[in-house]
Amino acid sequence: MSPRLTNAALGAAGLAGFLALGEAVPRLGLVSEDYFPPTSRIAKALGAELGDRAFWSALGDTLTGWAIGLAIAVGAGIVAGVVVSVVPYLRRATASTVEFLRPIPSVALIPLAVLLYGTELRSVLLLVVYASFWQVLVQVLYGVQDVDPVAEETARSYGLGTWARVRHVLWPTALPYVMTGVRLAAAVALILAVTAELVIGAPGLGARIAVAQTSQAVPDMYALVVVTGLLGLLINVGARTVERRALVWHQSVRGEVAV
Amino acid sequence: MRRLFAGLAVGALLVAASACGSSGGSGSSGKSPTSANPTTVKVGIIPILDVAPLYLGEEKGFFKRNGLKLSLTPAQGGAAIVPGVVSGQFQFGFSNVTSLMVAQTNGVPVKAVANGVASTGEPGADFGGLTVKKGSAIKSAKDLAGKTVAVNTLKNINDTAVREAVRKAGGDSSKVKFVELAFDQMPAALAKGQIDAAMAVEPALTTIKSQGGTEIAWPFVDVAEGLTIAMYFTSTQYAQANPAVAKAFQKAVAESLAYANTHPDEVRKVLTTYTKIPANLLSELTLPHWPAEANRPAIEVLEKLGEQDGLFKKTPDLDKLLP
Repeated sequence: MSPRLTNAALGAAGLAGFLALGEAVPRLGLVSEDYFPPTSRIAKALGAELGDRAFWSALGDTLTGWAIGLAIAVGAGIVAGVVVSVVPYLRRATASTVEFLRPIPSVALIPLAVLLYGTELRSVLLLVVYASFWQVLVQVLYGVQDVDPVAEETARSYGLGTWARVRHVLWPTALPYVMTGVRLAAAVALILAVTAELVIGAPGLGARIAVAQTSQAVPDMYALVVVTGLLGLLINVGARTVERRALVWHQSVRGEVAV
Repeated sequence: MRRLFAGLAVGALLVAASACGSSGGSGSSGKSPTSANPTTVKVGIIPILDVAPLYLGEEKGFFKRNGLKLSLTPAQGGAAIVPGVVSGQFQFGFSNVTSLMVAQTNGVPVKAVANGVASTGEPGADFGGLTVKKGSAIKSAKDLAGKTVAVNTLKNINDTAVREAVRKAGGDSSKVKFVELAFDQMPAALAKGQIDAAMAVEPALTTIKSQGGTEIAWPFVDVAEGLTIAMYFTSTQYAQANPAVAKAFQKAVAESLAYANTHPDEVRKVLTTYTKIPANLLSELTLPHWPAEANRPAIEVLEKLGEQDGLFKKTPDLDKLLP
């Protein structure tokens, strides 16, 4: 068997084992079936969810919040990161402020979001953008620091302007870092989108989880949690694919021996 | 390069779009709304049993008849609804009466406009009860001294009601330890023995009872007969600027409440549209009462008890608060 097939087989066996454990533990009475339903009941609830139009619109709401929030965060993070690095002194002037704002958990801004935007999409966006913006910004800052001084000086001596240097020297160096930032931000954005819906009640999968919870519909709640997990998995796989495509030329992806 | 630019442009556009989103409420006027040209009102609600009459009333056309179109927006509790109503994102909202009194005494400009939900007033058949787990040694609210009781929100209506139940049973309410726990988590916490008693409402109440838990008191009934638990409210600004809309809303809600009260089967049916209460619980639920008018004498008792327990900074002005 090729190593790839072995890996896939091992992965499938691990998953099957996990699902069987989820079925057996409640059935054996180790945990209460009322609060931790066996896998089969969760699967049944998941099937019912998939046949419900409201579920798909909730999924759409969550993905909308995620996508718009991520796009804003990535756009703003890249622009801010490049500007801060390129303009002299700006990096040192903003460093303390960034270090102060960055660790503030996005969920701590929930009361602010509610006051400003109520239960609308915009309050989800506020939280999503705040959390994922820093992921991108910090990676851009690291990436820019990594620029080879010789390349930079060479570009200068050839008389390249600021914009041309950003384009031909800074951006290719920073891109692998930026892609890492985007991948991290994509995961964080999903977490925050679901959290905002769950806590504030903005429409989406999170709000649907909350409704299932208050309705004492335990299997449905787990089914929705599973959906958010699968969504996170897909987003991560998608982000990795994008990363590989964007960095086709880069050594880390080409896997070529360094000269 | 072009791709980078396009990306940046889209990002900037989105930032701008989200920054200048409208903050104004929907069109407001002093004119009476008509069914031919209905006024859309956004109502902030909690997706629970209590607001079923609104879903039913919209379905039955009571709101349309009064010139209103309902946009029911589920929110996760009063913490999201009150700011939403005051800032004008919602025209109306759903809140329990104690929270409204607390808001008013804190200077938040709220005004109740229509009745919301009431206790059935029947011991043994109310939609909220003080419960203990199967086989518990606690037989009455009097035995709760030194025990842990879960309520959904501390220093609020359930807290007041449980204290009154303990006093009415001849116990010392100051000896009861209160902890905050969401209704949906009460059955598990009770079964595991993390709490000694829980002030639960439907559908958590039915879950507890189906697991063998028993009710030892009906605190809402102990406070006052036919206690008004929650009401629909608006901001004082909106009520002053749109008296006709507020009046139409009040009338349509009253019609919806009366209809819900006499058609419990339709209530159970409409519950399946906005909650996920499982079928086996749905048929067992004790529905609350939905009288068309709020019970002022009962609210006065609730106010006195709240004051006695130190919930308010000053005495709530019920003349101003109630419709």
